[in-house]
Amino acid sequence: MMYKKYKLHPVSAVINFLKGIKELLIPLFLVLIANGFHSNADEANIWEYIPMLVFLAVLILYLISGIIKWLTFVYWFEENELRVEYGLFVKKKRYIPFDRIQSFNYKESIFHRLFGLVEVSVETAGSTDGRPEAVFTAITRDAANIIEKETKKAKVEQKQDDEVAHSVSSEEALQEVRVIHKMSTKDLMLLATTSNSIGVVIAGVAALFSQIVDVIPTDWIMEELSAMIEFGIMFIAVLIFIAFFIAWILSIIITFINYYDFTVVQENDRIIITRGLLERKRFIIPIHRVQGIKIIENPLRQLIQCATVVVESASWGFGKGETNILLFPIISKSEMLNPLKQLFPHLTFELDREFVRPPRKSKPHFYRVYILCALPMVGLCSYFFYPYGLLSIYIVFLIYFLGLWQFQTNGYRIIGNQLILRYRVINCVTFIAEKKRIQVIQRKQHYFQKKKSIATVQATVMSGASGATAKVAHLNESDVDEILSWFERRKEMEKEDGT
Amino acid sequence: MRREPEYQIPRKGLTVWRLYGFIYTFFLSIIAGVLCFFTYKWNWFHIVYYVAIAVVIIVGFALIWLFPKIRWNHWRYEVREQEIEIQSGLFVVKRTLIPMVRVQHVDTTQGPILKKYDLANIAISTAATTHVIPMLITEEADRLRARISELARVAEDDV
Repeated sequence: MMYKKYKLHPVSAVINFLKGIKELLIPLFLVLIANGFHSNADEANIWEYIPMLVFLAVLILYLISGIIKWLTFVYWFEENELRVEYGLFVKKKRYIPFDRIQSFNYKESIFHRLFGLVEVSVETAGSTDGRPEAVFTAITRDAANIIEKETKKAKVEQKQDDEVAHSVSSEEALQEVRVIHKMSTKDLMLLATTSNSIGVVIAGVAALFSQIVDVIPTDWIMEELSAMIEFGIMFIAVLIFIAFFIAWILSIIITFINYYDFTVVQENDRIIITRGLLERKRFIIPIHRVQGIKIIENPLRQLIQCATVVVESASWGFGKGETNILLFPIISKSEMLNPLKQLFPHLTFELDREFVRPPRKSKPHFYRVYILCALPMVGLCSYFFYPYGLLSIYIVFLIYFLGLWQFQTNGYRIIGNQLILRYRVINCVTFIAEKKRIQVIQRKQHYFQKKKSIATVQATVMSGASGATAKVAHLNESDVDEILSWFERRKEMEKEDGT
Repeated sequence: MRREPEYQIPRKGLTVWRLYGFIYTFFLSIIAGVLCFFTYKWNWFHIVYYVAIAVVIIVGFALIWLFPKIRWNHWRYEVREQEIEIQSGLFVVKRTLIPMVRVQHVDTTQGPILKKYDLANIAISTAATTHVIPMLITEEADRLRARISELARVAEDDV
């Protein structure tokens, strides 16, 4: 029996090509700059064109390889497997059993949207090496639906074979879709205003301004203004205000592009997140792949009682760096609990109750060492930049208050089979994980901690290649030991839970 | 107060660590020697001699005598039915608890020096992290590896 073999959409050849160009862009730029220094020479030296010719050759190579990949790429469904083949000289074949497939993640760039296409990446339980198991560069929406339907149908059939009685209910269960969270325009504005990246944007704008100031005849302006110093201050204040305003607008634009129409949907045991204005992304996290939850509050958001919720997942979103997936980019803390409970009914979110805190005697540990490290710097600064260098003394106060704040925040709680760690570097992080998701717990203690019998605890869950850690510093030694024995005595704990 | 893990690293391990320290110091002293030679040739400041000698002596003292001793004293391990506990560290003493269920695979490795001393390292990998018990007698290492992989297979994910 022959199976129908599908091909990608022809546009995928172009997209492959464009991807290649994107990678070449930076080297090309460098070469152009390097050439720029010599190009004022009159004689047309053949050697100067060599790099450009090489680039042209590489470009053509990319184009051809893109076309070849499209020509040879076929996929089909056979024996409950999704089979993919491509390559001209080196044939690559990949057969993925349907029941191994965890999720299909979609991505639509502007280019895709012009033609009504999507990029689909297939993720399996095994694909922890940072890459999806298979990527379909560009296929029509219908084709993507066919892939999903085929794999699902086969799964349901298998289930029916396994347990005939439940077949109807499983069919019904497939329909259950709930919208958990949707970001409003107000949320987006709030996200943009309070994000850490606004600092980066401000720095960028400031750099731009310093360039512009060079162009403006500042000397002349300063001369004009030096007579009335208060007016000069006004001028600078206005400049700063404008810089902030531009940074804010830019931040909002970036946020809108990335997070426009951010929607979290629960479909059975899967969380589906869609977002993006120009480039739409959709990715799926199977709930059982969620290893831990981090609730992150940066100081600004803490002020307005909002938080960011991040999910540490064993899955890979799109390649590297997306293993911790933003579940709620910004959500008010009072509204956060309901959707979390809906998504993770097996976890408890009692975050208001008192945490087990570090003892009073550990307080100096939060700032003492850092102040000692900072003092020589302050000394040097004061010495070399005498009058203004003295201002660096404020760093010491900053460290001291940050340390106190960390001391106030740190703590832990154990609820049944669930560990909650709360700690702060600058952002306050509340880390929630079940015992069965925690890979390793470490207790760390240095000499001075030992003298005060306090210790640091660190828990690691699986997330991407190196895992995600949460660390609470300077707790009572006995408390840390309790966490360790909680982690250790799994059998006994289960009995206690049972009663 | 939690009990320390039971087993220590064999005495030979300390010797090997000292040997590593010696090799490192040897290469460092070659660099220092070259530096001193050029100082002599081109009449640089005399302070270079003193600094070079001081660095070699301090590093040698730390790497050959002090650090191996402290590290050897801190290293402990224990393989129980349900979990592996490792204590390690130089200045910060780390106590690591790995449940058997989380163990993905166990490797033993042995370089030429370790082979000469009939020692081997064991590396225990979980889904997220890797933990090493170094300098075990080869026989013991092989036995431990077999035991861990057996226990890891038996341990059930019962939580």
